[in-house]
Amino acid sequence: MESRARVLLLSALLLTLSGCASLHWPWSRDRDKAAAEEPVSAADEEAANNAPPPKVIEPTVERRKVKVNKIDSENIELGGFYGALSIEDFGTNPVYGIRADYHVTEDIFFEANFGRSKAGRTSFETLGGNVQLLTDAERRFTYYNLSLGYNLLPGEVYIGRNLAMNSALYVLGGIGSAKFAGDQRFTVNFGAGYRVLPTDWLAIHIDVQDVVFQSDLLGRDKLTNNFAAHLGATVFF
Amino acid sequence: MVRSTSTTRSIPLFRSTSVLVVTWLALAFCIAGAAHAADKSEKLQELFVSEAYLELHEGPGRGYAVTQVVPRGEAIDVLYRRTEWFRVRTHRGVEGWAHQRDMRKTLLADGSTFTFDLGDRAGFTRHNWEMGVLAGDYGGATLVSTYLSRAFNEQMAIEFTGSQFLGNATNGYTAELGLIHVARPDWRLSPFLTLGAGMIWIKPKSTLVLPSDRDDQTAYAGAGLRFYVTRRFFVRAEYRFHMVFTSRNENEEINEWKAGLAFFF
Repeated sequence: MESRARVLLLSALLLTLSGCASLHWPWSRDRDKAAAEEPVSAADEEAANNAPPPKVIEPTVERRKVKVNKIDSENIELGGFYGALSIEDFGTNPVYGIRADYHVTEDIFFEANFGRSKAGRTSFETLGGNVQLLTDAERRFTYYNLSLGYNLLPGEVYIGRNLAMNSALYVLGGIGSAKFAGDQRFTVNFGAGYRVLPTDWLAIHIDVQDVVFQSDLLGRDKLTNNFAAHLGATVFF
Repeated sequence: MVRSTSTTRSIPLFRSTSVLVVTWLALAFCIAGAAHAADKSEKLQELFVSEAYLELHEGPGRGYAVTQVVPRGEAIDVLYRRTEWFRVRTHRGVEGWAHQRDMRKTLLADGSTFTFDLGDRAGFTRHNWEMGVLAGDYGGATLVSTYLSRAFNEQMAIEFTGSQFLGNATNGYTAELGLIHVARPDWRLSPFLTLGAGMIWIKPKSTLVLPSDRDDQTAYAGAGLRFYVTRRFFVRAEYRFHMVFTSRNENEEINEWKAGLAFFF
């Protein structure tokens, strides 16, 4: 009984003693203050900052110098087309030509095309017998258009179960010129087209454009509408 | 009204259009074939995904479905780029299109970020190439004009301009090579000065009595404005004063005004 009481008292004493260390006794206040006010020299601090951090793992691999390879940009489409051109008053005739596109953003592209066709006979010539309004050379119709296009409806088309191809319905409009009947005229063109990409680098185009220009060929000055429908193929670069 | 028959002559280029078309197509397919063959032999750029994942779209457009994701830390190879999209391939062989916004967050093998030309306002200030189509007035004739320019630095560039003018009395072409100096490329609306020389081919209309074509040398000085619109596009408007050195006693002066849309790359 006695020994149990002694253990209890000794334990209590031990607990209080450990607590005493954290108390600020009046006689130890000066010493605390001195410790707080002891100046740490700037040099020491700097040295501490500059000291290498404790090494955990020694890197044995040299840091690789990486050169960025040139990334191929495939924004240009080059190709050709074949189709029909309806020259106002001169009938519908085959047209063929070349086209080049530059895709500036995913939505907008520039297009340049150059086409050639040959005009037929006007109904006046057909009915009039031996009347010739134009020579053979003058019937040649050559034109170029510089257009700005917008991919209005980008999407995908599916053929069967296993084939999905990217596509886009685009609208375009621009300026250019047409050489016809011995004269070169300023033209304005606008239209729409459909592009399907069987692979990433090949595109099939169907497009319809109206090439408009002022003409006084048949006596009075008028705005002529010349519709062209093209089927084309282009390759991306 | 029956047109005269003897005055028109076709330009040789037009006469050989079919040859041109065939050559063009053959060239197109050859270059394409060569380019794709070269693609395979070239070393592809390897990048590492540093975000939680990288989305791969089915096509190079914002609307195409995301069909694959590449998790953080995995490596991808960049095959090629089309506008703002990169065609990439994972090491498991999965291919897809990643947007440039996401590609900016990928890392090179040394841990540095992958940087590339974004086609934004900074690109308007500094770029290598520039191209545009303009329309306007060339001494009273309607003008269709294109140009291509190559920059030396932010302010100076050399540019080639090819134009066609279509007037009441004459038609013709011009080809000019000149220097352009952009005063403040960092401004959204930036003025520029230009100076150059070239050639002009004047073809009188068949209905007129003037017998022959003329080709003369020209020199020009001009000034204009460029205004950055968005992405890679800017509007360009300019005035050029041309001096045509004719074979006659007097030189000819032509004023050219034009405006149009251009882009840099």
